Amino acid sequence: MDTILPQIGCSGGAEAVLGIQPNSSISIAYHSLFGPHNDLMLLELDEKLLPEVLHQRVTLRGQPDEDAVLCTPSKTYAVKFVGTSNSVLLIPPSDKASQGCNKENDDKMMVASVIKVVPGCMELVEVAPKVDKLKLLLSQYPYTFGEAVSEEGEKTKMGLYRWDDLVDRLQASDEELRFGLKSLSAVEIDGYWRILDDKYMNMILDMLLHDIILNDWSINALNEDEIVGVLEADGFPRNIAKHCLQVYCDKVDEGVGVSSMWKLDERRVCVHLARDILNGGKMKIEVFIEKWRRKVPDGMSANFEMLEGEVLMEKLGMESWVYLFSVSSLPSTPAERFSILFKERPKWEWKDLQPYVRNLRVPGLSSEGLLLKYTRRTQPTAESEPVFSAR
Amino acid sequence: MHIQVKCSCGEGNCPEWAIVELQGVVEAQPSFENRLQSLQIGVLCRPSSQESYTFTIGYHELIGTKVSLKKPILVLKKIKLRNEDEEEDGGDVDATRVELDMIGIIRHKILFKTRPKALISSKGAQPSAKEKASASSSKTPH
Repeated sequence: MDTILPQIGCSGGAEAVLGIQPNSSISIAYHSLFGPHNDLMLLELDEKLLPEVLHQRVTLRGQPDEDAVLCTPSKTYAVKFVGTSNSVLLIPPSDKASQGCNKENDDKMMVASVIKVVPGCMELVEVAPKVDKLKLLLSQYPYTFGEAVSEEGEKTKMGLYRWDDLVDRLQASDEELRFGLKSLSAVEIDGYWRILDDKYMNMILDMLLHDIILNDWSINALNEDEIVGVLEADGFPRNIAKHCLQVYCDKVDEGVGVSSMWKLDERRVCVHLARDILNGGKMKIEVFIEKWRRKVPDGMSANFEMLEGEVLMEKLGMESWVYLFSVSSLPSTPAERFSILFKERPKWEWKDLQPYVRNLRVPGLSSEGLLLKYTRRTQPTAESEPVFSAR
Repeated sequence: MHIQVKCSCGEGNCPEWAIVELQGVVEAQPSFENRLQSLQIGVLCRPSSQESYTFTIGYHELIGTKVSLKKPILVLKKIKLRNEDEEEDGGDVDATRVELDMIGIIRHKILFKTRPKALISSKGAQPSAKEKASASSSKTPH
């Protein structure tokens, strides 16, 4: 009867299986609690990710209709279930309670018990974060001038998102999410992450440029306290004034005890002004350049190369026209990105295409690999520029 | 949704679990099919000091080796938490939160990838009682 109820023998568990001595045997049996145990799962992962799990810095993220991803503080991994047709017998360590075999019981065989037969294992594949949804969520209700000046105490919070709400809805690591918020120039207002309405953003930048002229400030040495004070007097909330500095300026000197110093970022300011001009539609290049140069503040020079990835030029007859086509408005998944690019223009020269594809990131695929996968490259002669078209 | 992966065992203390892996399926005799609990599957033997093992299931013997896994495998347990103090405004939106707890780690398995060898009567001297006791036979696909 011993063999029918092997647990009566000495229970050894996983230690017994892994530490089995030469010239000895142990019995492998079904555990007294053997069953499907669907709450037990196996996850294979790289040794280097193990400390992240041990220090509880790992989460699974996803909506019920999405495939789950696993996020470390900085990276995102797809979780794939890999099934097996082998019988994988899972043996837990022995219960501390039933341990303690004494040598006198040597005639009874040590037993290791199988708790379940596992159907497979989850594996991780590094993926690009899915942050396109972030823009979609935050664009529902951009922060407007009207909202900033309204005195209503309890505003409706529908369609607004706190950090935790975003973490719940987006499949991206914390670091990737913060980067996504930064690239959208989002700002936290009353606990909610918001993007500012374009008109409002124009208004505050115009005001800042205006104040710089009025007060005869140097665009390379802007005193934070002064700027914020003046913008506040102009009717902009303090946090929005600070946000404006962060979006259009770079900090040159961290103030300790005194006010921080900032300088206007030439490229960001010029690009913003160009976008504002072209918002109405396409324009002859000469007209555009003229308007643009006039808008740019003294001490800065507008340079057409700044507009890489922001505008495209097309020839209509003898004339060149420019129009807005911003890389930040394009999806971040390569297939969708290339599909829109080739709809916009069936053939691309490398110098035009490069600004629209350089921020595509696919783990495990180089940028050459991306081009090979999604484009057809033609080069009529060895000297001519290569041209890329859809595959 | 956002599921925290916890680790209740702490660094360096995660108990090691084991895997015994074989091709095909272990099938119990029909009379045992629904009450496998505590039933013996077979005997695992390490006949020498080498990392070579035999696994005897009924009249079949498998030969295998101990393999160190290239990547560790975590054993995770799904835990349902009920938030009692948190009244869901939605009402029947399922009020259970889920956590995953890392309860063990697997670094080695004993892998039997050969087809079973039939053990003929030398051990068959122990009569059919043994077969019934172990109540298992192995079946290998093709």
